[in-house]
Amino acid sequence: MVIMLIDMNAYVGHWPFRKLNYNTCESLLGRMNQFGVDLSVISNLNGIFYQNPQSANEELYETLQSDKSFEDRFIPFAVMNPIYAGWKNDFQVCSEKMDMKGIRLYPRYHNYEITNPSCIELVKSARDRNMPVALSLRMSDSRATSWMDLERGSEWSLRDLIPLIKEVPDARYLILNIVGNPFLDEEETELLKKTNLVMDTSGRGLRRFAELLERYGRDKFAFGTHSPILDYVTGALRIESLRDSEADNKTKNLLRDGNAKRILNI
Amino acid sequence: MRQEISRRSFLRNSVLSTAGMMLGSNLLGCSSRAKPGSSSDSLIHIMEEVRKYRKINSHAHIGLSVGGPEDQIDFADRLGIDWSVISRPVTTMDSSPGLFRKYNDRILDAVEQFPDRFIGQMTVDPTYQEEALEEMDRCVDRGMVGLKLYKQVKINDPLVYPIIEKCIDLNMIILMHSGPDVTRIGPEYGTLDPPSLSIPEDFVEIAERYPEGMFQFAHLGGGLDWEYACKALKDSPNVYVDISGSNNEQNIINFAVEQLGEDRVLYGGDLNPYTGVGSMFSADLNERQREKIFFENYNNILKKGGYHVD
Repeated sequence: MVIMLIDMNAYVGHWPFRKLNYNTCESLLGRMNQFGVDLSVISNLNGIFYQNPQSANEELYETLQSDKSFEDRFIPFAVMNPIYAGWKNDFQVCSEKMDMKGIRLYPRYHNYEITNPSCIELVKSARDRNMPVALSLRMSDSRATSWMDLERGSEWSLRDLIPLIKEVPDARYLILNIVGNPFLDEEETELLKKTNLVMDTSGRGLRRFAELLERYGRDKFAFGTHSPILDYVTGALRIESLRDSEADNKTKNLLRDGNAKRILNI
Repeated sequence: MRQEISRRSFLRNSVLSTAGMMLGSNLLGCSSRAKPGSSSDSLIHIMEEVRKYRKINSHAHIGLSVGGPEDQIDFADRLGIDWSVISRPVTTMDSSPGLFRKYNDRILDAVEQFPDRFIGQMTVDPTYQEEALEEMDRCVDRGMVGLKLYKQVKINDPLVYPIIEKCIDLNMIILMHSGPDVTRIGPEYGTLDPPSLSIPEDFVEIAERYPEGMFQFAHLGGGLDWEYACKALKDSPNVYVDISGSNNEQNIINFAVEQLGEDRVLYGGDLNPYTGVGSMFSADLNERQREKIFFENYNNILKKGGYHVD
């Protein structure tokens, strides 16, 4: 069996507050080759900051069309804003014309509540098209970022996503860059275990990774980098440094690519 | 379509030639230092790379939000860390001599428990100058090396002068906390940390006053503006920076090396064991630079006082 590495959490594009490296499709592909990553789920960071995020999806689509290796190696997710005019049409275009494989939501940056009816409707639409819904608990460290970024303390923890999962429990979710307390109470833990989701391994909240793997199940995590904002290796290190008693090779393979394939339906 | 691309070797053969042509072109957003294909399959086999390097964790703690000595050793074993410089600073503003003596005792106990893995670093609150100096004597007599200070007093406060002078006599480095508050430039300035927090400019001032002193600017990944810090500290050759902290932004180490040089950057973990090691392998460093940052730079600091581990 050939083992792949699938990065569930990567971006191209710009971050307004700090120069990024490896933030183009060309340079990310170089990074993937250097580190043996086969596929990367990517979105365009610009979609967080453009008032009309569809422009960012179009940018990404055009770039991916420009090179066959991009199409082979990148799994594009559309950035959607369900409170911006025309989102239903944009979603349809992203899904049908651009062949985007999932969507990414940024309620904090786009300024809506996670239980906003339009958000719920969008998540249900994604569910109906078998498209995973990705939510990042945070994009950048609010302590170190510019005063023009989100306010301090506005980052999510895992618990903050529970209301959305309760509203649409049969959607597929990617929960990315886990920060804050990842240990939920019993009821919330059960809900997460029942949901078809994966959490990527890029976030600093996974200090007790072996314990979390035991708690939520080996089907609930997948390799991710949060590149190019965070370093490219730490997400893999959390997996590869697991001891045999904590994760056998079969489990590690689930984390490297198995769970990603399941949630991405590839 | 995706399932067809299942063999990484095929991918490398087909894509690396393109990547090779592409890498080096800044116009395409790539680093000229990247070495395509130099570490094939490296993420799946990253632990082999990790174990190749000797490591001194220049910034480690016992008993803060993390566990005790066993917890620290557990992560050190997992990540191939040979030595950890451990301290237990007083992190509240209402310190006392009794409290920092108690915390130093905990560190002494931990070193006694794992003498081949821990280097004990003493802590004091310079507010209590006389007791602090006495405590330093006690700790040094019991084998502690180096001093950890927190934010009760700025590094350039005159209260700290005799403490710095004692460290200079002992050839020991001072690891001083810094923090995010004053580096988030703008309206929120000064709302999180006390005015006694040391900012990069304070390190610059004290390093100039004591050019023979050795100062360690804490955790570039500790939630501060690391670009600001490195730029401020660029011309202070006796200030080192450690890369520890939870904010493992991609370019921290390379920016630090560019600004300060590869001899002034120290590997560290602080409360986050994975990020320090992961960042070191993500950064565009050659093997020699990794050896220096992981081990030699700190060992050379220890060597100045004869405290080196190799």
